[in-house]
Amino acid sequence: MDDLLADFIAETREMLEASGSELVAWEADPADRARIDTIFRFVHTVKGNCGFFDFPALERLSHAAEDALAECRAGRREADRALVSAVLAIIDRIGEMTDAIERGEASDADDQHDARLIAALAPDGDLVEPSASLAPAPAITPIPGEAADLTSGPGAGETDPAGPMRPVVQRSIRLPVDLLDEVMKGVSDMVLARNDLARRLREAGEQPTIDGPFERLSAILADVRGSISRMRMQRLEHLFGSLPRLVRDLSNELGKQVMVDCEGGDVELDREMVEMVRDPLTHIIRNAIDHGIERPSDRLARGKREIGLLRFTARQSGNQIHLAVTDDGRGLDTAKLAAKAMASGLHTQAELGAMSLEQKQQLIFEPGLSTADAVSAISGRGVGMDVVRANIEKIGGSIGVTSRPGEGTVIELRLPLTLSIIAALTVTSGGQTFAVPQSYVEEIVFGRSEHLEFAAAGERTLVTFRGRRVPCLSLNRILGQDSGEAVAWRSKTLALLRLANNEVFALAVDSVLDHEDVVIKPIAPAIMDTRLYAGTTLLDDGRPMMLLDIPSIAARNDLSGELRAGSIRETQDRPRERPGAPLMMFAALDGRRCAVRLDLVRRIDTVPVADITLEGATSQVVIDGRILPLAGHESGALPQGVCRMLRLTDGDAEIAYAVREVLDTAEMHGDPVPSTGGGGIEGTLLLDGRIVALLDGYGLFARHANVRPREPLTCHLPENGDWADAILKPLLDQAGYRIAEDGEAEADLAIRLSANDAPGRARHVIHLSNDPDHTGEDTVYRYDREALLGMLQRVRREKAA
Amino acid sequence: MTDLLLLCTIAGQRAALPALRVQSVVEVSSITPIPGTPPFVAGLTALRSQALTVIDSALAIGLPAAPHGANPRAAVVETGGYLYALLLDGAEDVCEPLGPPMPVTGGFGETWRRVARGMVETGDEPALLLDIEALIAGPQSVAA
Repeated sequence: MDDLLADFIAETREMLEASGSELVAWEADPADRARIDTIFRFVHTVKGNCGFFDFPALERLSHAAEDALAECRAGRREADRALVSAVLAIIDRIGEMTDAIERGEASDADDQHDARLIAALAPDGDLVEPSASLAPAPAITPIPGEAADLTSGPGAGETDPAGPMRPVVQRSIRLPVDLLDEVMKGVSDMVLARNDLARRLREAGEQPTIDGPFERLSAILADVRGSISRMRMQRLEHLFGSLPRLVRDLSNELGKQVMVDCEGGDVELDREMVEMVRDPLTHIIRNAIDHGIERPSDRLARGKREIGLLRFTARQSGNQIHLAVTDDGRGLDTAKLAAKAMASGLHTQAELGAMSLEQKQQLIFEPGLSTADAVSAISGRGVGMDVVRANIEKIGGSIGVTSRPGEGTVIELRLPLTLSIIAALTVTSGGQTFAVPQSYVEEIVFGRSEHLEFAAAGERTLVTFRGRRVPCLSLNRILGQDSGEAVAWRSKTLALLRLANNEVFALAVDSVLDHEDVVIKPIAPAIMDTRLYAGTTLLDDGRPMMLLDIPSIAARNDLSGELRAGSIRETQDRPRERPGAPLMMFAALDGRRCAVRLDLVRRIDTVPVADITLEGATSQVVIDGRILPLAGHESGALPQGVCRMLRLTDGDAEIAYAVREVLDTAEMHGDPVPSTGGGGIEGTLLLDGRIVALLDGYGLFARHANVRPREPLTCHLPENGDWADAILKPLLDQAGYRIAEDGEAEADLAIRLSANDAPGRARHVIHLSNDPDHTGEDTVYRYDREALLGMLQRVRREKAA
Repeated sequence: MTDLLLLCTIAGQRAALPALRVQSVVEVSSITPIPGTPPFVAGLTALRSQALTVIDSALAIGLPAAPHGANPRAAVVETGGYLYALLLDGAEDVCEPLGPPMPVTGGFGETWRRVARGMVETGDEPALLLDIEALIAGPQSVAA
């Protein structure tokens, strides 16, 4: 209300000033129709505005003046000097009253005086001297006691110092937004110039005579910049003020009763942003009333209050505004949403089955979904929540929904404070600097971090971090800065970015520089067309820097859709809702469709067949200079030339699995049908209507894995060189032991051939005897392989314990 | 009075731009290339804290790239609310044309046809009057 009042006062005063010259001209020529029209419009507007605010005295005055002027306009009356004076007196009085209203003196009524002014308008009225109406007015007032009240002009406070302090309505003026923008731009430029100057000063070294004033200039500029930013701000009350009416109209139309509750109207938001939010908000309200809030009879039946409640809450959180629209209606019908999503071909049954309730609720933002069966006039016209989301994302915001069946729905908007200044993370790629909006950045990780694991799935690179497997994109590649060679992921820095709909992906950049607030300027269509950039900004040294358009980049790389289908798995964070286990589908060498749990797949390689040694169960393949046990070759003949290999790992051991072709990733729903035939198959699954054999990861590693623990145990060898090196060492290697260096003080194990053979200290000792009959607790015959391995195992177990 | 023309050279060809549309002719000191843009978008440059989109005029017309010096000249124009710097081989003069732009029998050739509005007589040599919007649209609009 205060804002509206301030607007009214500003407008009235503006018109008073504008009509000043008109009044003078009218006085010179009372018959001037054009002047009469102008003044008529003024009093008419004042009268109209008064109706909103309940200022009866003001309304009476302006109404009387309007009537008199209307008579003149209609030609029923000649405008004469008496009328001019009377009207001018009234206009002066309107000015006075406006001032009084501004000071919060709600009623400055002096009915007698006003009545005299109105009477003066009559064709035979007394002549009122207009110039006398302001100050000398009390002099002609017959009641002396009222004098103080009448001089309610600027002097009132002084004549009555004991008067109560009244709340002061902030004085305001109206300015075109363009002008504000221009000033804002000017200040931004000033900041850039200051930064440039700062750099030059730094280069020039310390100069006390300049540095001091420069510091002061910087401080002032920072203040001015802050004030200018505030100039663009508007309280959300402006937006909230229009909501009750909207809600009333809509609920009447739909035969529902809805109450509105607004909270946080004092939160300030960029003016332009307020305007941008208006339409999406209207749409959300329509949806809430149409779909959410039930008819009064239904509500009563459910034990709710007859009148629905629509609550708007706003709060500021950092550089974001959270605006929530809550209704206490029936909540989202996720079953219906899912059915619609399937009917419209957006998702398959399998995908929907894997979705959590939360994910299903987010379906309302998918294009083409409306839960209303009947298309009503209010919503369900095809312009759905997808458009709302698109509009909110366009201004750098995000939208989310949470709902409880039968209890209601909350739609939360997160909006940046302003459109033009955003917090950004600056990164480099290909020697150039780019900005990423800070709001997307969740975390920054170095590629060389041990907590990261990269895996390739077809063309896509995945990275696992904190139990979460997310797609990884290279900024070099996105921008076409690389030559198509393999990306050296380990040398990159990864920014984990969370999109508006909670999808996460990793963006690999050359390096991360800094956080900065940047002033975003629009970019030309030819650059917009790349769909890579959202804007540009100028660096301190005046060079332009591009702001990356993260949602577009994600969409271009098919991430939005793919992620929405649920390939993102938060294995640790969400133990409750078990999504389908991700699988990688492939064709085995015999062409059978198989699947393996994606978690097991470390990467996919292509290996020349020449590097494969087939030898039954102990077949091996050389990949990256390492010998890996080979599996999968039993099922069919190896292809000519090269063979695709899945590199599977259980965390320690690694196995290469030969396949004919890598097909796709999928999700497993439900348990596989257990296999009876064994053969390395855990069971069979139905995926997209086809039978798929699921590899038995456990059996696979149990059979093939050449267990190579990460931390090999150390062992001292007997000094009988040749035999130990040639025969004993390979056995130890296989069992996961490392030969201790000479300098190592205490090894896990020492192996001795004879009693006098004492190389270094060790926690355990195994004696090897030359006599098959001479064995004991830690003595074994040197060629009793089983017994020796058993002992090695025992040492390992004790070490682990 | 007919509209003044800025006489310039683009890819060795004498050309003219409507002088009223040209805010200034500047020397472009540094161009920040923008990965992912079509080749005729040379990048961005800053002019008095405004970001200008630099258009390589030769490439935008559809001609082979012409080498530019260290600080090439560019005509600053505004269209659609955005500022552009059109790279030129050189800007010679501003003059008043002797007549309206005329078509040439046989045309200007495939590449020039899209951007040329006609030939103007300038008293000296004739020049091709270029359409700024067509130039900025780049060669891909032919394919579209």
